[in-house]
Amino acid sequence: MAAQTLAEAAILGGHHAQAFPYFGAERRGAPVRAFTRIDDKRISIRSQIYEPDMVVILDETLLEIDPVVDGLRSNGSAVVNTRKAPSELDIGVSVRCATVDATSVAIEALKAPVVNTAMLGAVAKVLDLVTLENIQKAIADRFGEKLGPRAAEANVLAAQLAYDGTKEGRCLGARSIVQRRMWLPEWDEVPTGVALEPEHIEGVAVGPGSSIQNMTGTWRTSSPKYDREKCIRCLRCWFTCPDVCIKRLEDDHVKVDYRYCKGCGICADVCPVDAIDMVKGVHEW
Amino acid sequence: MVMKALSADHAVAWGVRLAKAEVIPAFPITPQTLIMELLAEFISNGELDADLIPAESEHSVMSVAVGASAGGVRTFTATASQGLALMHEMLYAVPQNRLPIVMVNVNRTLGAAGGIWAEHNDSMPERESGWMQVYVEDSQEALDMTLQAYRIAEDERVLLPVMVCLDGFILSHTVEKVEVPEQGEVDAFLPAFVPRSSLDPSEPVMMNPIVPPEYTTEMRYQLDRAMDDSRNVVHQVDEAFKAAFGRGYGGLIDEYMMDDAEFALIVLGTAASTARAAVDELRAEGRKVGLIKLRFMRPFPHDELRRACSGLKALGVFDRSVSFNRYGPVFTEVSGSLCGSGVPITDHIGGLGGRDITVRDMRKVFSLIEASVEEGKVKRVYWHGLREAKG
Repeated sequence: MAAQTLAEAAILGGHHAQAFPYFGAERRGAPVRAFTRIDDKRISIRSQIYEPDMVVILDETLLEIDPVVDGLRSNGSAVVNTRKAPSELDIGVSVRCATVDATSVAIEALKAPVVNTAMLGAVAKVLDLVTLENIQKAIADRFGEKLGPRAAEANVLAAQLAYDGTKEGRCLGARSIVQRRMWLPEWDEVPTGVALEPEHIEGVAVGPGSSIQNMTGTWRTSSPKYDREKCIRCLRCWFTCPDVCIKRLEDDHVKVDYRYCKGCGICADVCPVDAIDMVKGVHEW
Repeated sequence: MVMKALSADHAVAWGVRLAKAEVIPAFPITPQTLIMELLAEFISNGELDADLIPAESEHSVMSVAVGASAGGVRTFTATASQGLALMHEMLYAVPQNRLPIVMVNVNRTLGAAGGIWAEHNDSMPERESGWMQVYVEDSQEALDMTLQAYRIAEDERVLLPVMVCLDGFILSHTVEKVEVPEQGEVDAFLPAFVPRSSLDPSEPVMMNPIVPPEYTTEMRYQLDRAMDDSRNVVHQVDEAFKAAFGRGYGGLIDEYMMDDAEFALIVLGTAASTARAAVDELRAEGRKVGLIKLRFMRPFPHDELRRACSGLKALGVFDRSVSFNRYGPVFTEVSGSLCGSGVPITDHIGGLGGRDITVRDMRKVFSLIEASVEEGKVKRVYWHGLREAKG
């Protein structure tokens, strides 16, 4: 959404632009890359971008798990969602950098930690190819059409607040860029029929049992709180949890496995005595 | 005319709105769904007067489309990969009954191996079905060809369905600058659909009868002639479109830097864009390379390609799908057309399952085409990006 809105803002400014996403797994919360090209003539290249002039990082923690700044040169720039000032931030390559606490801005303006429009405000501050005015027009257009005028207004405000709160400077480049572990077999090493064995847990193709390694607990935005006193040990929650996160104890009370719980709330929904309460945020009890 | 920032899927929906399609049967499948979502919005806002009919499968979608088109209304649908495969049986009900349905197929890998990304192995097998097939390269062409497709399909010299193919994600979800024409301009270019015959109880006709062998050959030949003759209509409609909107696409093929080219690549879909960027780079280095964007797989432009390729030292074909143990389908078709021309042709298979195609990849394709002048130096079929043991 952010990449597309940036392209629309550039088009409003009279440029040509192109924006597209690249999805890995089709689920919310998974890391997603999106690309935007801006030019003054028709854009012919349709490949992904390998040597970006600018990298916009919506989630600072991605620096720990993904080579997000791969290909960024020292004459490029970065815009990062962080509480840190550029001079305190190390992204692995020292570049002209703008930082903004987009999460706080989004919570203030949108009452939700959805940072893409706030980040666009920060981008407008450092990218000469777009103006804040056109960014806000593009946001109003995209979000207004989908979510109505109130959502559009709130997102326009998020861009403004982030624009005002953006700090500019130069970030550090001391950390080593983490590399993605990818299983890239030669053609004659691909198992016949792509029947994967348990050790094949890297890349997109995952073997059996890989869900053990894949801790999905951080995906949740609300967490089940279990009240042992209210529980009548009917075990409906244990039976219906789609991710086997409700563990049955010997006496038929239960325990939540928060390492994998995605916070879907089905357990709370099926409980006949309200012994499970869904509490906003990532918690454990 | 209004300038908008649209993905190709949304550009198609705008095309369908401007074409005033009246019946739109639908079944959701990624990466086509954006088209139907926007059409549903248009209908709910009162901006498009059409019936969007959710069916229980793609097989049923095409059945509804056949009924609607036979009933004499302008009909649209869209699908992708597994959806197109499930439609396969009903696709054949359309051309022989001469129903001018327009369908967008958002090219997506047909599993297994399953994936949501672009490959042409979903639409290529359907080139035997009797549908016309055009492959587009950007969001503007997606909108424009939706309009052109209706005018071509409904031309009484043609009366064949048109499948507009566009690459999943690389195009379907890519936002670009698109000129959306005014309704009045489109109405002048694309008049209301007047069916040749329709299911009307007051003037009964029988459609889709069982046909004994005494007639099948003649019916097939009639279809073969209609498909071949449609080449002229494709050109005429493109000319008319250019006169009305200022944008033309060259009809069946679009040639780039071919005037003095010694080496050329034939490519379709979005790969043509990146190949064009490679041609620009190589031309700047003084290399005589050119590009032929193959737009239509049906009707296949055999005469046009023979003319465009005469005098070349070598030719390459880029295929985004493969027929196992043989070649990519585009290579097979091109080789058939150029048989006896003496131009050496190599097949370049790449972009399978949506693997990214870079300018560097395309530069390599051109280098191999140049090297293929020397017999035996380059493999007839070259799989680009294949990981294989060296040595």
